[in-house]
Amino acid sequence: MLNPSKFIRESIENIKNEIGDEKAIIALSGGVDSSVCSVLIKEAIGDNLVAVFVNHGLLREGEVEEVCNTFEDRLNFIYVDASDEFLDALSGVEDPEEKRKIIGKVFIDVFEREAEKIQAKFLVQGTIAPDWIESEGNIKSHHNLALPGGMVLKVVEPVRELYKDEVREIGLELNLSESLIYRQPFPGPGLAVRVIGVLSNEKLEICRKADCIVREEIIKNNIDRDLWQYFAVLTDTKVTGVRGDQRDFGYLVVLRMVASTDAMTAYVPELPWSVVRTISKRITSEISEVSHVSLSISDKPPSTIEFA
Amino acid sequence: MKIIIINNKGQYNHRIGRTLRYLEIPSEIVSNELSFEEIAKKDPIGIIFGGGPSIDEAGNSLEYINKINDINIPVLGICLGHQLLAKFFGGDVSNSPTESYAQIEIDIIKDDLLFNEIETPMKVWTSHKDEVKTLPNDFEILAKSTLCDIEAMKHKKKNIYGVQFHPEVYHTPQGEIIFKNFHDICLENLN
Repeated sequence: MLNPSKFIRESIENIKNEIGDEKAIIALSGGVDSSVCSVLIKEAIGDNLVAVFVNHGLLREGEVEEVCNTFEDRLNFIYVDASDEFLDALSGVEDPEEKRKIIGKVFIDVFEREAEKIQAKFLVQGTIAPDWIESEGNIKSHHNLALPGGMVLKVVEPVRELYKDEVREIGLELNLSESLIYRQPFPGPGLAVRVIGVLSNEKLEICRKADCIVREEIIKNNIDRDLWQYFAVLTDTKVTGVRGDQRDFGYLVVLRMVASTDAMTAYVPELPWSVVRTISKRITSEISEVSHVSLSISDKPPSTIEFA
Repeated sequence: MKIIIINNKGQYNHRIGRTLRYLEIPSEIVSNELSFEEIAKKDPIGIIFGGGPSIDEAGNSLEYINKINDINIPVLGICLGHQLLAKFFGGDVSNSPTESYAQIEIDIIKDDLLFNEIETPMKVWTSHKDEVKTLPNDFEILAKSTLCDIEAMKHKKKNIYGVQFHPEVYHTPQGEIIFKNFHDICLENLN
């Protein structure tokens, strides 16, 4: 098995050697990977670490407040609202791979700007093994690996060789809160890969509302810990419906809920039907733009966990 | 005293390393672009050929198999690695009529050290488009499933094994035992 205390010890030692007395920024998303990294780096270099949390306009309902509240007092913390910059760069872009690459590039632009302000030489990222395995295999480009040439920041990735279940063990050893450790994984490109096709504020808002309903119901029914991820995808497909005797032509939303340990393989478990039905009913009644909800039942492989 | 894992660029190759690390078996993942001499210098006690997207990306794997065939060192081929072994020894590899991506059950049909202490039927994870259609000369079938006749095979006279499924992933619950058994085979071979 993994030996968490040994990993932590060695990791802090390596980081000290690598970063020395220089300053570093960490790309903090509030997820378990970057949170664990922030603790390791802080242990190693103390106040020379500045955490940068970027709002790319593709976050979930309530996420900005949640992350700011969790980290503001623990770290040197900077919140950057770059949503306009990201959404402008993504304007008119349909292809998910192109979206991922653009987001990766804008992230680096933002981080380089922030690093320059405080003269940081290092960028810490919470990249884990499945990220680079999928990028190298050309399955999908992970936002944190689309590093542009000519980048001046040196990248430090303390948990690069680990899988998320191992990062969670490290998090437990570091006494992070359970809600942080078992926080549902959320992709770096955020809702950009859950809204299929060209993005718009309207579509992002529909996806955000649907995702919020899924999260509320899954947590209320205590099945969040049985699932690796649970979310709603807003497709680009419109379908015919009937509401109050009137024709309706609205969006198709797909529910995706999978079980996994390391994201390398995942399956769709048997879900309580009443929960699935409640989610479907709430989405179509609370979000008037949605006419139809379907449930995805494909495993990984051959599908991936995210849609795009 | 380590096992060398040939990285054939499959999604799960890094997980083979993790599984061996958890078993405290020394191992190293290496690129399939190395020369055989560079691999031999590492003094492996066994070699695992990982899976991968296609034979075109298997680098020097076929050359390694050719050289290993002359020396006495245990080999385990996984998915593409299994298919490369079949191809080298004269078997037939082609598209499977039903592409298989799922947890399936295999029947272990022959007692062998590789499946020591594993009960049949065994739940395994598969992810492949191609399969071994005809068994190479001097090989025997160790396990089969309703989807694929050759889920595992072994050379009759040498410690050369191939498995079509993925023992290294989480959704093959007893997969770890296969690596432990393979390591035992490697140790026994040293003596």
